[in-house]
Amino acid sequence: MKRSILALLAAATALAGTALAADDKIKVGALRFTSHSASFIAFEKGYFKEAGLDVEFVYFQASAPMAVAIASGDIDYGVTAITGGLINLADKDAIKIVGGALHEEEGIDGSAILVSDAAFKDGVTSPAKLAGRSFGMTQTGSSFHYMASRIAEKEGFPISELKLKPLQKVGAIIGAIKSGQIDAWAIVPHIAKALAKGGAVHIIGWVNDYAPDYQVTTVFTSAENAANKRDLTERFLAAFSRGAADFNAALVDKTAGEDVAEETVKLIHKYVYTSRPYEKAAPSIRNGAMRLNEGAKLNLSSVQAQLDWFKAEGLVKGEIGIDKLVDGSYVETY
Amino acid sequence: MELRLAGLHHGYGDIEVLRGIDLDFPAGRIVCVVGPSGCGKSTMLRLIGGLERPERGEVVQTGEPPPGCLNPLTYIFQDFALLPWRTVEGNVRLVLEDHGFGRAEIAGIVDDVLTRTRLSEFRAAFPRQLSGGMKQRVAVARALAVSPAFLLMDEPLSALDAQTRELLLDDLVDLWARERFSAVYVTHNLREAVRLGHRVVVLSRRPGTVREVLKIDLPLDARAAHAGELETHRSRLWRLLRDEAQAADLELVDG
Amino acid sequence: MAERGDGGRPVAFRGGGFSPRPLGIVGPLVFLAVIAVWEAGCRAGLIPPLVLPAPSEALAALAHLVETGLLWQHLGASLQRLVLGWTCGTLLGIAVGFSIGLFSLARAGLAPVVAAIFPIPKIALLPLFVVWFGIGEGSKVATILFGTFFPTVVATYGGVDNVDRSLIRMGQSFGLSWLSIVRKIILPGALPAILPGFRISAAIAIVLLVAAEMIGAEFGVGAYILLAGSLMALDELLAGVAILSVMGLTVNWLIARTERFLLRWRT
Repeated sequence: MKRSILALLAAATALAGTALAADDKIKVGALRFTSHSASFIAFEKGYFKEAGLDVEFVYFQASAPMAVAIASGDIDYGVTAITGGLINLADKDAIKIVGGALHEEEGIDGSAILVSDAAFKDGVTSPAKLAGRSFGMTQTGSSFHYMASRIAEKEGFPISELKLKPLQKVGAIIGAIKSGQIDAWAIVPHIAKALAKGGAVHIIGWVNDYAPDYQVTTVFTSAENAANKRDLTERFLAAFSRGAADFNAALVDKTAGEDVAEETVKLIHKYVYTSRPYEKAAPSIRNGAMRLNEGAKLNLSSVQAQLDWFKAEGLVKGEIGIDKLVDGSYVETY
Repeated sequence: MELRLAGLHHGYGDIEVLRGIDLDFPAGRIVCVVGPSGCGKSTMLRLIGGLERPERGEVVQTGEPPPGCLNPLTYIFQDFALLPWRTVEGNVRLVLEDHGFGRAEIAGIVDDVLTRTRLSEFRAAFPRQLSGGMKQRVAVARALAVSPAFLLMDEPLSALDAQTRELLLDDLVDLWARERFSAVYVTHNLREAVRLGHRVVVLSRRPGTVREVLKIDLPLDARAAHAGELETHRSRLWRLLRDEAQAADLELVDG
Repeated sequence: MAERGDGGRPVAFRGGGFSPRPLGIVGPLVFLAVIAVWEAGCRAGLIPPLVLPAPSEALAALAHLVETGLLWQHLGASLQRLVLGWTCGTLLGIAVGFSIGLFSLARAGLAPVVAAIFPIPKIALLPLFVVWFGIGEGSKVATILFGTFFPTVVATYGGVDNVDRSLIRMGQSFGLSWLSIVRKIILPGALPAILPGFRISAAIAIVLLVAAEMIGAEFGVGAYILLAGSLMALDELLAGVAILSVMGLTVNWLIARTERFLLRWRT
């Protein structure tokens, strides 16, 4: 009897403790892209709140600064592509990848390979004919650079046959390919489809054929958080996964029905393409729906392949191993 | 060659500077022009040399300039106007370069005038290395290089200290004795005027009119020895000028 | 104050100071001391490599550039853009500056345009240059050209305005031709204002180099720095910045030599 009362008391205090404890304040880095929807949905639907997380979004223009912001402690969690900068920061024990987000999947429209109208008319109608052509990217060592190298490898010509043009910003690349100043590019489907519709560019292939199951973006945090704030990180990943699951159901697998899909697009529109009216934004958001990893699973072999490529290109130095880049203890890896 | 001013009239905006000037400048003589400050002496000189256009009246040139004359009306400025980036030699060469001479011809003329003004050993010096007196001698050499018919001298000694002025004055007397040049010599210094002028023109205060033309017959090279006579001329000029100068001094600068 | 035997005392010295003497050795010493402290801090672990890599690491990155010959490729590409852009910008700037200084119509028409465009950061116009001149060398040279053009125009016409008018009158009084007056009096007279303008425009050109090489540059010191930045390779970043700094110092030295030669007539 006494013992059970004590147990009850303990349970009550524990409950009260949970209820009274203030939520953990965390800052999450995001780009205003559809691929970041898992975070937006988790926030809007209160999944973060339920996990005891008080989330504040910090917006970035590109992936690279987000990695730096994690390293400097300005933000706690981020979702972005694996870049040379990110790997080098991991090498300095500043950050760790803890989960997966966006990835290419067979059967779902992923990143498309584009050519300018001029190049298309000049006979570049398939990725095999890209040798000797110029290819746009934001920076050396960006995901665009990686995709270009995959295409070259599979088509059997050396990457040096592609004239890679670093143009810093996605907007600059769009301008350059539209005006025919560069010949080719590879980009997420909603941008690719919107451009192709205008007739200024043509889709000549899909990245998934060259980099199957490509782990495009990952969830990452500071090495400190990964090692010492296990509980916080687990709660974040759990809430993030619920957001990802909702996104997949609504817009990728389309199993949740049209009403839910519409509702989800509306929700995402609060964050993405905010300057455009809903009617114009909705198709772009739907077009951009690529699979987000279920349960934030991480395709370790794709990460390994990317790491190997960065090393082979001399973009990251030293003997950084996959263990230093990835903390695989949080999510299922494959 | 001679110069004559006929009914010369000039002003700037509302301010009348010169009124009805009629004057003759004979060949081979130095005519000094004196007057209170602001009476239009320098303006008159600019009109004579064609650097400004008179409002009314004209500057007439009679007779031909002597053969070999490159620039009949040649100025010597108060501030010397030497190009600081050219050497003594370069400054003299500047005024010969536009006349289609060959290298050797120019070098010949430069050598000649530098010898005449005793500047040969300073030919490679830049103006900043020279004293004020030396700079003005370079300016004289440059003027002589173009064999002028008339030298138009605008207070050429005013920027120099008293001793240098004295030395240069002697130099000019010597030079005139040798070259017999014609000149219009504007100054506010009456001692200079009576030492150098065959005639001294006295202008009234603004608007400048000719008050008197004083003739001094004493030969230039004899004047140093006749200090007494010169002093008489000087004090006579000063009496003429004093009231004008005083009145001019009391005027507000902006009129 | 000590009384003297005669009851007088020396007047106290109140002058001196306010005239810094050149102490040639101090500058390099401070430089070396900062680097030594920095290196020691890194070795002792007081400065984490994430915050600032050691000078020796930057030096190693530089050595790597030299060994692989990449240094010359980067330098060559950058210098070509700099020299071309700066030379064209400067020549055009001097020509326009002279027109503004000499002709009333050019002054009335061009001076306000120059004043309006001068303060625009040329980096902001980069996208326009890309559209006009392409992502090749054209836009890079154009960026540097535009950057150097405006300060040169302003320095030149300021210089022309400041040429001693009495010298020009002297030239006219000796019957010099218009062209002779411009060439022999106005040009050398404006030079003391134009040459310091060169220092400014050369510094601007180097600053703009990094911006110019943002667009589609494979080689170039600016491209190298940008890549190092995006890869968070801080040692390479510092090596690149050091190269830029040395370029700046070299250009400054060259201009100082030119100035000393061309303006040797000044005190």
